[in-house]
Amino acid sequence: MSVQAAPIATTSTARRALGRLAWTLVPAAPFVIVTLIWIMATGILNPSKETLPPVTDVLASIKELALSGQLATNVVASLYRLLLGSILGIVTGLIGGVIVGLNRKLAESLNPVVVFFNAISGIVWLPLMITWLGIGNALAVFLIWNTVFFIVFQNAALGVQLVPEVYEQGVRALGGGRWQTMRSVILPGALPYILTGIRTGLGFGWRALIAAELVGAATGLGTMIFDAAEYHRSDIIVAGCLIIGVIAIVMDRWLLLPIERRTVRRWGLVADTEKE
Amino acid sequence: MDAAANAEKIAVSGFRHFFDTEDGPVQATGVVDLKIRAGEFVTLVGPSGCGKTTLLKAMAGFIRPTEGTIHCDGKLVTKPGRERGVVFQELAILPWRTVRRNIGHGLEIAGVPKVEREEKVTRLIDLIGLGGFEDRYPHELSGGMRQRVAVARTWAADPDVILMDEPFAAVDAMTRLTLQEELGRLCVATRKTVFFITHSVDEAVFLGDRVLVMTRRPGTIKAEIDIPRRAAGGRDWESFTTDVEMQGIAERVLKLVRAERGLTPAEEARAAAGAGA
Repeated sequence: MSVQAAPIATTSTARRALGRLAWTLVPAAPFVIVTLIWIMATGILNPSKETLPPVTDVLASIKELALSGQLATNVVASLYRLLLGSILGIVTGLIGGVIVGLNRKLAESLNPVVVFFNAISGIVWLPLMITWLGIGNALAVFLIWNTVFFIVFQNAALGVQLVPEVYEQGVRALGGGRWQTMRSVILPGALPYILTGIRTGLGFGWRALIAAELVGAATGLGTMIFDAAEYHRSDIIVAGCLIIGVIAIVMDRWLLLPIERRTVRRWGLVADTEKE
Repeated sequence: MDAAANAEKIAVSGFRHFFDTEDGPVQATGVVDLKIRAGEFVTLVGPSGCGKTTLLKAMAGFIRPTEGTIHCDGKLVTKPGRERGVVFQELAILPWRTVRRNIGHGLEIAGVPKVEREEKVTRLIDLIGLGGFEDRYPHELSGGMRQRVAVARTWAADPDVILMDEPFAAVDAMTRLTLQEELGRLCVATRKTVFFITHSVDEAVFLGDRVLVMTRRPGTIKAEIDIPRRAAGGRDWESFTTDVEMQGIAERVLKLVRAERGLTPAEEARAAAGAGA
C-alpha cells in the first residue's frame, strides 16, 4: 500500500498545483474573451473606425500617447487628484464613521443629513461647484471627496456598530480604558468594513474623477477622452478607458489586496479563498 | 486557614435588577444576598433565564444594579476593573491577536515591561499546553484551545477575583471534562477567588467549594451546599464519579435545580448524564 501511495500523492500534488495555476489565470479570462470578440467584431462587421476602432489602432495610439509624453502628464494629473480626493475622503470618512458608529443617538440624529447629501452626491454638484471652485484641481478633488467620504463613512459606521460587545467588555475587564478599547477592539474589529469602504470608495472615486475632468480640467485622462471625442478619435477614447481600468486593477491588487491579506484575512474575519 | 483567606472578598447585598424594555421594566432577578470569601470557589447553578448572567455582569461592573450594592474588598463596584477578571460565555478573545498577544493583553494594558510580560505569558502558555501555538491566531485553533486562551488571558492579568460565565458551554463534552480538571488544578495552584456560573449540576459540584442554587426567573438564591474539601489535586472526574459522598451531593443539588422547572424527560436525561454532556 505504502509503495503505491507515493506516486498517487505526487500525481494529486501535481494536479493540485495545476489547478491552482488554472485558478490564477481565470481572472484574465473575461478580458481575453472580450478582446477576442472585439477583434472578431472589427474583422467581420468592419465598422467605421469612429464606431469601433480596431485593437491595433488603440494599441498604436497608446504607444503614441506614451511616446509624446501626453500619457504621463495626464496620468499624473489624474492620479494626483484621485489620491488627494480619496485620502481626504478616507480620513474624514473614517473619523466621522467611527464617531457616529460609537454613538447610536448621534447616528440616528445625523441619518437624515447623510441620506440627503448622499443622494445629491456626484455630478449633480458639478454646475454649482464650477461657479464656486472654478475649473481645476479643487473641483475634481471636491467631487472625489464627496464620493469617497460617504462610502467610507457608512461602511466605517456599520463596521464599528457590528463589533461584538463582548470583545469590548473583555478588554474593559482587563482594565482597558476608552483608548485601549478603541485601539485594540473597535478599529481592528471594524477593519473588514473599513477596507471594503476604501476599496469601493476608490472605485467610485475614479468615476467622480473622470466626470470632473470631462468638464472641469485642462489635463487628465478624462480631459484626454473628452478632447478625443471632439475630434472623433475613438481609438484614444478606448485607450483612455483601458488605461483607467488597468490603473484601477493595479491599485486594487498591489495596494489594497495585500493590506486585506495581511489583516482581516490573516485574522480569519473574512473567508480566505487562497487558503489550502 | 489564615485570616486573609477568611476575609470577605465579594459582598452582594439587596441586589435586584430590572431591565428597561419597550414594554416597561422587566425583572431580571429577585433579591440576592451573597458573600464570597477570599480564595473560595463558588459555583452558581440555576435554570436558564433565571438571572445568573445578570448577577455576574453586575459583579463585573458592566451593569449597574437597579437595587442594592456590590462590594469587592469593601469598595463599591461601579465599573469594570482589573481586580475582577471575567471569562465570558461567548468567546471574548480577540481574533486579531495571536495567542501570545491575547494572553499578554492584560499585562500590556497594565504597562508591564515587555520582557517580564513575555516571561509570564510563556509560563502560562506552557501551563495550558499551548506551546508551539504562541503565534497562531484564534481562528486557527480548536474550540478547546481557544477556551484555554480565554482562561489564560484572564489569569495572566492576575485579578483577585475571577468571574466565569459558563465558560465551557460551547466546547465538546470530552474537551469540557479536561478543561474542568485543568481549571480545578489551576485554582488550587493560584488560590484565586472564583465565582462560576453553570447550568450543569455536575460541573457545579465538581468545581465548587460551595454550590449556590438559584430559583427560576426572577432568580433568588434558594439553597447553598458546602462541598467537603478534597485533597489537593483530587479534582478529577474518575474519583468524582466513584465518590459516593460527591454523588450524593450532586443528586441533592439536581433535585433542588429540577424543582425549579418542569423538565422534559430528554432534558432530565441530559442533566443526569452530567457535565451538561
